[in-house]
Amino acid sequence: MTERLIVRDLDAGYGRLQILRGVSLEVGVGEFVAVLGANGAGKTTLLRAISRSEARTMRGSVVFEGSDITALPTEAIVQRGLLHVPEGRRLFTDLSVDDNLRLGGFLRSRAQVESAVDEVYERFPALTARRRSIAFALSGGEQQMLAIGRALVAKPLLLMLDEPSTGLAPRVVESIFAIIASLRAEGTSILLVEQNARLTLRFADRAYILEHGEISLSGQAAELAADPRVQAIYLGGHSNAPR
Amino acid sequence: MKARLRVDLRLQCAFAVLVVVFGIAGARDTALIQAATYGALYAVVAIGLSLLLGNTNLISIGQAGFFAIGAYAVAYLTASVTWPAGVTPGAQFLVASVLGTLIAGVLGLALGIIALRFSGPYLAMATLAFDAIVIGLLRYVPAFGGVSGITNVPYPIFGSITLSGPNAYWYAWLLVAVAAAATTAMLRGRIGRALEAIRNDPLAAEVVGIPVRRYTVGVFAYAGALAGLAGTFYASFLGLVVPDAVGVTVSIDILLMVILGGSGTVSGAILGAAVIAFTNLYGHSYQNLRPIAYGIAVICVAIFLPHGLVGLLWHRRNVKATVAPVDVPPAPGQTAHAKPQATTPWLEVRGVSKHFGGLVAVDNVSFALENGTVTALIGPNGAGKTTLFNAIDGVVHADTGTILVAGRDVTAWEPHRIARLGVARSFQSARLFGDMTVAENVATSAFATSGRTFDVGAALTRFGIASLRETPARDLAFGDRRRVELARSAAGRPDLLLLDEPAAGLNALERERLRTDIESLRGDGITVLLIEHDMQLVMDVSDRVIVLEFGSVIADGLPREVQTNPAVIEAYLGASA
Amino acid sequence: MIQLLVAGLTVGSTYALVALGIHIILRATRAINFAQGDFVVLGGLFALSFVSQLHVNIWVALLGSTALGFVLGALYERFILRAAARVNEGAVMIASIGTVYVLLYGHALIWGNEPQPLPTFSSAQQVQLGGATIAVQSIWVIALLAVMLAVLYVFFERTVYGKAIRAAANDPIGARLAGINVDRARSVSAAISIALATFAGTIVGPITLVGGSNGITITVKGFVGAILGGLASPIGCTAGGLLVGLIETLLGSRFAHDLVDPLVYAILLVVLLVRPQGLFGGRRIVRD
Repeated sequence: MTERLIVRDLDAGYGRLQILRGVSLEVGVGEFVAVLGANGAGKTTLLRAISRSEARTMRGSVVFEGSDITALPTEAIVQRGLLHVPEGRRLFTDLSVDDNLRLGGFLRSRAQVESAVDEVYERFPALTARRRSIAFALSGGEQQMLAIGRALVAKPLLLMLDEPSTGLAPRVVESIFAIIASLRAEGTSILLVEQNARLTLRFADRAYILEHGEISLSGQAAELAADPRVQAIYLGGHSNAPR
Repeated sequence: MKARLRVDLRLQCAFAVLVVVFGIAGARDTALIQAATYGALYAVVAIGLSLLLGNTNLISIGQAGFFAIGAYAVAYLTASVTWPAGVTPGAQFLVASVLGTLIAGVLGLALGIIALRFSGPYLAMATLAFDAIVIGLLRYVPAFGGVSGITNVPYPIFGSITLSGPNAYWYAWLLVAVAAAATTAMLRGRIGRALEAIRNDPLAAEVVGIPVRRYTVGVFAYAGALAGLAGTFYASFLGLVVPDAVGVTVSIDILLMVILGGSGTVSGAILGAAVIAFTNLYGHSYQNLRPIAYGIAVICVAIFLPHGLVGLLWHRRNVKATVAPVDVPPAPGQTAHAKPQATTPWLEVRGVSKHFGGLVAVDNVSFALENGTVTALIGPNGAGKTTLFNAIDGVVHADTGTILVAGRDVTAWEPHRIARLGVARSFQSARLFGDMTVAENVATSAFATSGRTFDVGAALTRFGIASLRETPARDLAFGDRRRVELARSAAGRPDLLLLDEPAAGLNALERERLRTDIESLRGDGITVLLIEHDMQLVMDVSDRVIVLEFGSVIADGLPREVQTNPAVIEAYLGASA
Repeated sequence: MIQLLVAGLTVGSTYALVALGIHIILRATRAINFAQGDFVVLGGLFALSFVSQLHVNIWVALLGSTALGFVLGALYERFILRAAARVNEGAVMIASIGTVYVLLYGHALIWGNEPQPLPTFSSAQQVQLGGATIAVQSIWVIALLAVMLAVLYVFFERTVYGKAIRAAANDPIGARLAGINVDRARSVSAAISIALATFAGTIVGPITLVGGSNGITITVKGFVGAILGGLASPIGCTAGGLLVGLIETLLGSRFAHDLVDPLVYAILLVVLLVRPQGLFGGRRIVRD
């Protein structure tokens, strides 16, 4: 079996409010999968339901590396190597960059953390220069790198990223995507939720389109990039925009 | 809200009967009657605090300070001051009592103004500090007798009536009856509806036109005055007053009475005061066990019975959501737009910017709406749309630029004033007043429409929620919450309606219903500004679309133009390769 | 002058530890613990029982009292604060006020109403310093405060678990996603906070006597210190607590006893109105 993550018929939401309706998707080993959709389509809820943070799973199952994690607490999911870089990054803004990274390896041994943190500094040289400053003081791009770096210290098998491009300048977004692509190349599976469809489809292997909490379209990234329905989903129907 | 008021009134009537029976049957047991008399005075203080706590969520641990002011006003003025000949003791008491109540009320007002700046623990500490300062000064100033207080306070005598002795029981409970009646009348009227709305959601209350700050300060002053009033009777009943009898522990006792009985109700305050008065009397032989049991009871009530003992009678656990069927009324066809009533645009935004720390949320945005049209405000997440809404209706204030509503500069206004100009608004998360019924929620739009008439029933029917009329808002399904909020915003017939993501979380049928609702509102001549991510809805319903990105307007035009605008496509889909 | 300074710092030590304890619980659980001062009183009484019932050395009693505080704090968070937090913030405050009653009359029930003496930490009673006579116990109090602050500093600044607790308070969701058990971090935070209180009660016990009913006053003074220094900053809380002790001692040497507390509270009101984030800055964490 080459599927790392299998989500089946997932219903999820908050309290009484249901956002996701019967969502099913898979992410293979070393695969880069994107979930696209307009604001409010339920992308963030999907990741929260998988990592069991904030959202409430109402029905359906989540299987990771062959075992059912649907009802596990977040810490146990992290322990298994499924890491979630959440919306808003959720850094420890009062702590230093170095501390943020080290806490990413909270469940790992000291020696493992040391080498993993060093690797992150190699991958993100910009963070090395700022290792002593508090996370609050970082620029948006640096904060995003730190958020990804913190998750990497836990040595994820699958990394889930929630709109890493939010609020970043286009050049910074490009570099973040290049890093994500390099992670994939090293064998980490990626589940990326994004609004920025064109850029995402250039990097991803496959993509799902989420509309009003349901998957309305899925396929190879290259095919979807050429599909006029994608733009219609973002900007409404009857579009005669250039394809 | 209705259930609570109904239970509250019935309990008050039951208590009244009990008080009479008890006063007649127990007349011989002086210790018992005395305990009940002081219980009554604490009940008056508790009624004020209950109103404060239950309706504004502001916790005061300083009510004994007001009580002390009332008590010392009477003690000092009637025992230590020489009055001109001819002023009877009764008249002296009246003057002193009114004065004491007034001073307490004014100080309550002052604390209320402080309360506007702090919430939660800060306020609790500030009120506690107030009480401690009052007690400290009473101990320190020689005229107030120091630690031994003021003794020889004369009994007030009115002709043949003396306000003391065994009869004090009746006068004390008469005072409770007066305080209870006044407070109940307030709770059942317009003030009560406003306070209920504030308790449920201060921001939404402000936006429907309720001056939240004024009410908060008012309730503080009222609670202070009631405590002062009770204090004035306390001094004359007892004939003396010492600082320790009105100290911080009394404040805490009173707070706990209200918590135990059930805050927000008059009967809860009375019940709590009575329970404490009698356990104090009978618990004497179990000196330390009594307050321990009391503490445990309070912890349990806080955790398991947040509405107190009285809450057991009216508060239901969440029930299954009630759902109203969604039927989409026939399309109004090409709506004949109502004639704009004025040539001045209902809304004009001129060069508005808003920063949060280093983040520019809204950056120099300008536009004017054409009256009687629907304009959509779209853009990626974090583009500043909701911040712009907040700036328009006064929830936040713009750093630079001007907001004109019907030609008036409202940039620095508070939301309730802007609401009263005819601006209504819905929220991303459908902020309803959870404890109020659907009809009560819709009726709150009356606060914004003083003078104009409107019909709650018609609004409910129009938005297809008449069957939910008596359902508490917290029991509603999500889609219905949206419809109720739309009805609440539209019922007051606003001139300008701001809708923040009204379609979020709706299913296909509900979205279709929403589309026709928006079109029909436009048909009434209402100017609509709409934030929405459902592009199908935006393109179908809007006359004009404004696109924000990073706080700035990047496109502004007809839906079709915006849809094909390269800058917009890039904002949504990213730059093409 | 030196005498006044030492006396002020001794009084302030309790307030500093209370302020710090309030800060730690507030950070971790968003609750203001009104029972903090009553745990201080309880700490002194624990030590008393260790000394008089178990006949151990006062130093062992200090360890025992602090350890009991730690356990009690964890239970307090687990069974009272956490349950009330599910209702709302107000419920947490009320529950902690209920706890004040339980503790206040609970220890009166067990240990009696009268304050009792606790042995000093060393046999020497007084020492001459720069012409002033200083109680040796005061020096112990200040020294032990310094040691405790150093321990806390090392724990929160130098150990992974200390940082994990700070992370859990800083961003609970982020902490969960990093694999930190946030519920346990909250329990440990409360445990540390209450341990600080019982520790404080033990070290000042020989000076103030142990027992009595002034727990709520200690809470309020500690809170005044926390607000004065800045509720959001641990250093501010400590400094603010010491400052309140100094102010109180200084005022006590000038004004009538009855006027001291009202003056201290008046300072609180003024600081709240003029500089709600406290004298030592820090971002505000409660309001908004």
